[in-house]
Amino acid sequence: MRMRALITGCVLGAFSAAAGAQFNFNLNRLIDTTKNVGQASTEINEQQEAGIGKEYAALLVGAAPLFENADVQRYVNRVGRWLSLNSERPDLNWQFGVLDSDNLNAFATPGGYVFVTKGLLARLKSEAELAGVLAHEIAHVVKKHHLAALKKGAGMQAGANILSEFAAQRGRNQMITDRLISGMKEVMLRGLDKDDEYEADRMAVVIAARAGYDPYGLPATLQMLQSMNPEDSGLSLLFATHPAPNARLDALESVMGTRLDRLAGQPQVMERFARMMLGPQAGPATSQQK
Amino acid sequence: MKLRPILLLLVLAFVPAVAQETGFAVRQTEVKKEPYSDAATIGTLPEKTQVKVVKREGGWMQIESPAASGWVRMLALRMGAGAEQGGGDSGVKSLFNVARTGSSGTAVATGVRGLDKEQIQNARPNPVELQKLAGFAAAKSDAEQFAAVDPQLKAQTVEYLPAPGAGAKQ
Repeated sequence: MRMRALITGCVLGAFSAAAGAQFNFNLNRLIDTTKNVGQASTEINEQQEAGIGKEYAALLVGAAPLFENADVQRYVNRVGRWLSLNSERPDLNWQFGVLDSDNLNAFATPGGYVFVTKGLLARLKSEAELAGVLAHEIAHVVKKHHLAALKKGAGMQAGANILSEFAAQRGRNQMITDRLISGMKEVMLRGLDKDDEYEADRMAVVIAARAGYDPYGLPATLQMLQSMNPEDSGLSLLFATHPAPNARLDALESVMGTRLDRLAGQPQVMERFARMMLGPQAGPATSQQK
Repeated sequence: MKLRPILLLLVLAFVPAVAQETGFAVRQTEVKKEPYSDAATIGTLPEKTQVKVVKREGGWMQIESPAASGWVRMLALRMGAGAEQGGGDSGVKSLFNVARTGSSGTAVATGVRGLDKEQIQNARPNPVELQKLAGFAAAKSDAEQFAAVDPQLKAQTVEYLPAPGAGAKQ
């Protein structure tokens, strides 16, 4: 930054010396470029991150709508919000959603938006497993893995510039927004850095344990995924964007060892989870409504 | 009515869970009498031994096998029968079929709602849906209250696990 201010200063100095109107255009371009580079290296602040994440989340719910069940949506929000309170970023505007998709997957976007598909939710056996899945996504948000992936987007010219341009825009510049959206789509289809996935797994078991859950919920979910037919159409995007479940299980085993075993007796919460998934209709004496 | 689809999906998901699952050892592993490291060792599962999984407790799984029956480390196992597993498309299509053949089958009967490459490629932002999402958000106090009721979720202080290579492996 100090360097850049210096360069700008020199440029301005050169301008006043030349004082020619014909230089005006070139100079403005030069200053613009300098400014952009300056912005690109500036950290995206929390508010800007939230703005980028909101756009990203709007795109996800544009790809698959929310599952129409308010009770399930609120339940997943309570579990997720409790987990987020046990993360390093408890005060983000965390929002959790169940997407009406039969595919098995989960997503996060910057700023604290976390999604799980109905297809994955329906295959989980306990709240601890749900907690493991949500905590993995929370870890991506805590570590800003998506911002990193957007910045180094392979097909995008200077992804960082797009992020800062989006953050700095006044009002809504459709062209900038479109560029950001295409970058987001690319990240969704290509996935995050594989090391970031392993890191999110390592963090997820700890975040779940901190929140009072059995830390083995995520490994149990990975075992479930590992047992499915890898050619299954519902898994194609998940498997294209993540390391294989087997590799993730191996990695978790090597780092977990028995380290979290003192907390392994924490609740799995199977009953409440089943009750929530089945809904009030499953209850013994509940009315048809609600 | 809205509850139907997930109910059906869940029933389907619970069938294999309640019924015994098959697993196999990815490496030779000790079989313990109880789900604890210092419990008595009552046998050894050679690598690739097939087992029936009864249940999981924390990092342990209760298994039955001709070699030995007892508790083994969960992560020494992989689910399924090994190479030949499941077959066919057990995910979207079968879920969809079950949901569709259900008596009501409203929400999912319109087609498989995937979230695959094509859908993402063609997605447009949906601000209305995003507003709905915000309406479901839980306040901090709501989440704390949720954790305080039975079954109580007690917050713990736990350090993150070291990255591989950063610390001693166990």
